[in-house]
Amino acid sequence: MATEPALEQTGLQGPAAWEEEAEREQVHGLGPWRLGLRRLRRNKVAIAFGILFLLLVAACLAAPLWADNVAKTGPNTNHLSDTIQVDGESVNVVALDGVPIGPQYLKADGKFFMGADRNGRDIMVRLLYGGRNSLLIGISAALITTFLSILLGTLAGYFRGAPDVVIRALLDIMWSFPVIILGVALGVALALGGFQFWFIDISGDSLLIPIGIIGLVYVPYMARPVRGQVLSLREKEFVEAARAQGAGPLRIMFGEVIPNLASTILVFFTLLIANAVLLEAALSFLGAGVRPPTPSWGTMIDEGVDRIATAPHLTIVPGVMLVLTVLSLNVFGDGVRDALDPRAKVRLEH
Amino acid sequence: MGKHSRRVLALLLVALCMSFVAACGDDDDDGGGDGGGGSGEAKSGGSITISQTSQPDFLDPALMYTVNAIEPSWLVYTPLITYPRTGTDKDSSLIPGLAEEMPTISEDAKTYELTLRKGLKYSDGSPVKASDFEHAIKRVLNLESGGSAFFLGITGAQDFVEAGKCNGDIAGIEANDQSGAITINLDAPDGSFSHVLSMWFAALVPSNTPCRNLTEEPPPGVGPYMYTESVPNRQFVMEKNPNFPDLGPDIPPGNLDTITTQIIKSAQRQAQDVISGELDYMQDPPPADLKPEVQAEYSDRYEEITTASTYYVFMNHRVPPFDKLEIREAVNYGMDKPALARLFAGELAPGCSFLPPGVPGFDEAMDIEECPWGNPNEPPDLERARQMIEDAGEAGTKVTVYGNNDDPTDKVTAAIADQLTKMGFEAEPKILDGGVYFQTIGSAEEKAQIGFANWFQDFPHPKNFMFLVDGASIQPTLNQNFGNVDDPEITKGIAELNQEPVINDEVTERWRELNVQLVEEAHIVPYGHRKLATFLSERMDFDNCRRFHPVYNNDYSSWCLK
Amino acid sequence: MGRFVVRRLIQMVLVMFAVSVITFLIFNVIPNSDPAVRMAGRQASQSTITEIRREWNFDDPIYIQYVTTMKMVFSGDLQSYFTQLPVGEEIRKGLPRTLSLAIGAALLWMFVAICLGLYSAMKAGKFADRFLTIVALVGISMPVFWIGALMNHYLGFKLGWFPNGGYVELTEDPIDWAYHLILPWTALAILFIGFYSRVLRSNVLDTINEDYVRTARAKGLGERQIMVRHVLRNSMIPIVTLWGLDFGAVVGGGAILTETVFDLQGVGQYAAEAVGQLDVPPVLATTMFLAFFVVLMNAIVDILYAYLDPRIRLQ
Repeated sequence: MATEPALEQTGLQGPAAWEEEAEREQVHGLGPWRLGLRRLRRNKVAIAFGILFLLLVAACLAAPLWADNVAKTGPNTNHLSDTIQVDGESVNVVALDGVPIGPQYLKADGKFFMGADRNGRDIMVRLLYGGRNSLLIGISAALITTFLSILLGTLAGYFRGAPDVVIRALLDIMWSFPVIILGVALGVALALGGFQFWFIDISGDSLLIPIGIIGLVYVPYMARPVRGQVLSLREKEFVEAARAQGAGPLRIMFGEVIPNLASTILVFFTLLIANAVLLEAALSFLGAGVRPPTPSWGTMIDEGVDRIATAPHLTIVPGVMLVLTVLSLNVFGDGVRDALDPRAKVRLEH
Repeated sequence: MGKHSRRVLALLLVALCMSFVAACGDDDDDGGGDGGGGSGEAKSGGSITISQTSQPDFLDPALMYTVNAIEPSWLVYTPLITYPRTGTDKDSSLIPGLAEEMPTISEDAKTYELTLRKGLKYSDGSPVKASDFEHAIKRVLNLESGGSAFFLGITGAQDFVEAGKCNGDIAGIEANDQSGAITINLDAPDGSFSHVLSMWFAALVPSNTPCRNLTEEPPPGVGPYMYTESVPNRQFVMEKNPNFPDLGPDIPPGNLDTITTQIIKSAQRQAQDVISGELDYMQDPPPADLKPEVQAEYSDRYEEITTASTYYVFMNHRVPPFDKLEIREAVNYGMDKPALARLFAGELAPGCSFLPPGVPGFDEAMDIEECPWGNPNEPPDLERARQMIEDAGEAGTKVTVYGNNDDPTDKVTAAIADQLTKMGFEAEPKILDGGVYFQTIGSAEEKAQIGFANWFQDFPHPKNFMFLVDGASIQPTLNQNFGNVDDPEITKGIAELNQEPVINDEVTERWRELNVQLVEEAHIVPYGHRKLATFLSERMDFDNCRRFHPVYNNDYSSWCLK
Repeated sequence: MGRFVVRRLIQMVLVMFAVSVITFLIFNVIPNSDPAVRMAGRQASQSTITEIRREWNFDDPIYIQYVTTMKMVFSGDLQSYFTQLPVGEEIRKGLPRTLSLAIGAALLWMFVAICLGLYSAMKAGKFADRFLTIVALVGISMPVFWIGALMNHYLGFKLGWFPNGGYVELTEDPIDWAYHLILPWTALAILFIGFYSRVLRSNVLDTINEDYVRTARAKGLGERQIMVRHVLRNSMIPIVTLWGLDFGAVVGGGAILTETVFDLQGVGQYAAEAVGQLDVPPVLATTMFLAFFVVLMNAIVDILYAYLDPRIRLQ
């Protein structure tokens, strides 16, 4: 029975489950890379969404261009008392009763393209800068998760015995912690005074805090399949051969095992970014993620929900950006998995 | 066939009419009196359901300190001294509550003597004794209530707290149950002590009331209503108190029989329910989303009232650059008050006076028209501010603006930071958690440069506000004078006026002068006073049965159904 | 088998212990914030703070505070720092609401996911399949609180088709209870429908090519019979195990956001609010409670799986 190594599902706890996983994992040699790339290229839908993702990233990176040349304002600049010219008329950016204007599109030369928020800030500018932050957090967190997962998974899977027991126990505990609660608890606790340990001094407002928390929280989801793969890899012939040649454990791990994990890691990585971006939004919504006034898609949705009746654009706009980004990552990641996994029967292509 | 069917028809018609009449009668609910005709006649009886957005912090008079708890509770617990509930401008002056007369204050203003009225009973029928007063104060001190600060000035109060036992003795309070005489000795004169005695903390409760949080079963009190049910986070119920004595025309009994308060987190839902009639009142103003609709279509049952509160920006006199007078003046010139008002969705009345309307010493002219920094309803003089800051060589100075994460404080803080940036600083907001905000900026170690602050009156005495800018109240931790305002003249003025046990016209004028001096000398940047709203359902008699009290907000005992 | 069960249960207890320790540490070691200062409020005086520290044993060493707090968790005396209301009471009041949300959503997502997954598998490779895959992926990509807030506003407030949040007790009015929960159930289920329908689809496709299915076809059994009797049943096993794990995770995670958006006042919302205030006793109790759910479901699934797998049974 084939079950794909999707992110949310990594099997069961307990000794039986860990054994199961190890057996089920497939080893991808280095050969299929080119094969996989060819399959991916034929998958037009996945490629399309992959391009969409890159476009979204590019747009966010180009935030300063938009801010300086079109909107002519920064992400944190308030325009509470200002007026703009729309169709020759002077309009309050924020009305006297506090309701901000909706999307103007090109009516005011691109200013307030997507409207203003309660502080009179340009939503389009905040959307792009916020996207930078959300993507930065997502990708950095995914990197941290990947790094820790490889580290822990390889140590546990290769050496077995005591390190394996300890690492598995650690992962089981983290797995049992309700994700949101752990994230919010850490987020709130660290936001108060920041993180001071040894030479590390991070302020409570720093983006490193949500990055660290999200990166940490997803480790069990990836470390287990990695461990499973390492377990089966270490019994393979080429590892035996390397050992017979006298290579030490480190050389074997870095030379033979980890490169073979590459396809698993790649598949997971795109999905990790998608989930990390979603988790950042959830944490910011609960007030435990990015600290105001720094924009991120999550904080923008949080601010918008309060005013959903009079200013729905505050909620809809960042949400749609978020969904498009995560969707493109999911579809592309799906395509990558299909391309690399020879057992996938049906793909998104025609 | 014909006669028979006609009779049936007739019977049917009669039945229809009767059910129609019965239905109409049902709409009026359990109406007691007739209520028809006379416009000033308050209909007695009826039950209503009202809502609050969050659970009152405590329903225990010794502990409560939020409007959620105080608004209903002042109708359940009456202290020795209280305020009239007449709906006139006299409502801020003190009158005897459970005491026979206003206190006799000694020459040195350190001793207060009162006599308890005779024959009073609690809502459970037990008699009220003079020693119950001391017990009430003991509960406040022993339970580490937020209100303990007000009573620590009583002789022996500090020792009582340190002894840690509820059945200890407070040396400074003597009560004689036979005669009903109560004597209170203070360590130092406190001009606001009569007002302190009117706070709900000092309301009398039976002497056998245990020293623990009684939110789930509130103790009996003397008042028009009593609590009959309390389920935290769901609802609590008040019913007419059958044992409410006659305390005079200024403290009337209630009209409605039962008031049920439900806790509904969503302000949206509350507003919709008040519109449709499922709820009869919501304590918080309707959310900004629905306000335009409410103001347009339901103005016959909606009103906004300015409260005795001040929102201001503190500037730390001990931390550069705000140690310079020119900088503080520049900030006053450049602060965009109308912009900040917008963040409150219209629920802030821009103003320059530090003492708000309703508190003696409020200066109406200085508040708006004659504000030394410009009319708060007009755009600020940004250019002047910018020039002053540049001339002082502080353009580009890094400034951290403190605020907390309550709504809309975080947005207000962002707006203040933005405005300071426009004035030439490099300003960044720093948002702290609401639970520790004031304690943090009140710590000298934090060196908070500038930030958000506000104050709602505990009682209409200027001392209640001026202690926030009193040099004598500065302390290294838990400081309430966030800006470390330490002007010797102002400090001296406050100290002198604090000794005046009664506020007459002359004393009021002297407080007003202090208020003006405080604002003119740019010690703080007041920008407005908060407005609250009263929104009632259709069946409530909005025009005849409604009193708003400056200290306690809506007077539930005044309400009646149409 | 018996030994396996016992081992699993011991593991459960150890994990719960670790969770409680970590939670306690997170709130007592990390923040530079004194709970007594928070509890004393805005106008705190030093003597009040000292008294609070004394009464709540904040001056005791950490491990003693931990033991005292844990004792209160099990004795039911646990009180919130701020409201001083019994935590157990609040959890008991919130539990039926959280369970109503989680169970309803889970049943909904399973039912819809099975239908969609089967249909996708049957039309594998065709347009309908690709379309449904995209739809499923869109479902996975939406933040539950965002879609929940939008549904609540547009369907609840604007169109008035559904109530605008809130909860009605099942015992009071079952119809109203369900009516209030339709939107929350849908919001929560959307995420999982997407995921489960795809897993089912791929399982079904794999099973279809298995030998025993080909044998059944050779025997002449009808396509639908094959689908239901053989394919579906065998595809369901991993689904059921996943479901068990995810149900635990929903109670512990996704439910929190949904409860907050729709104001259902369940355990999740209580936990989120307590965490925001750094109110340690409710946080500790709710975290352990929610973790217990996750751990319990994991253990049940594990034991069930072990029961079905003869290798474990015979150990």
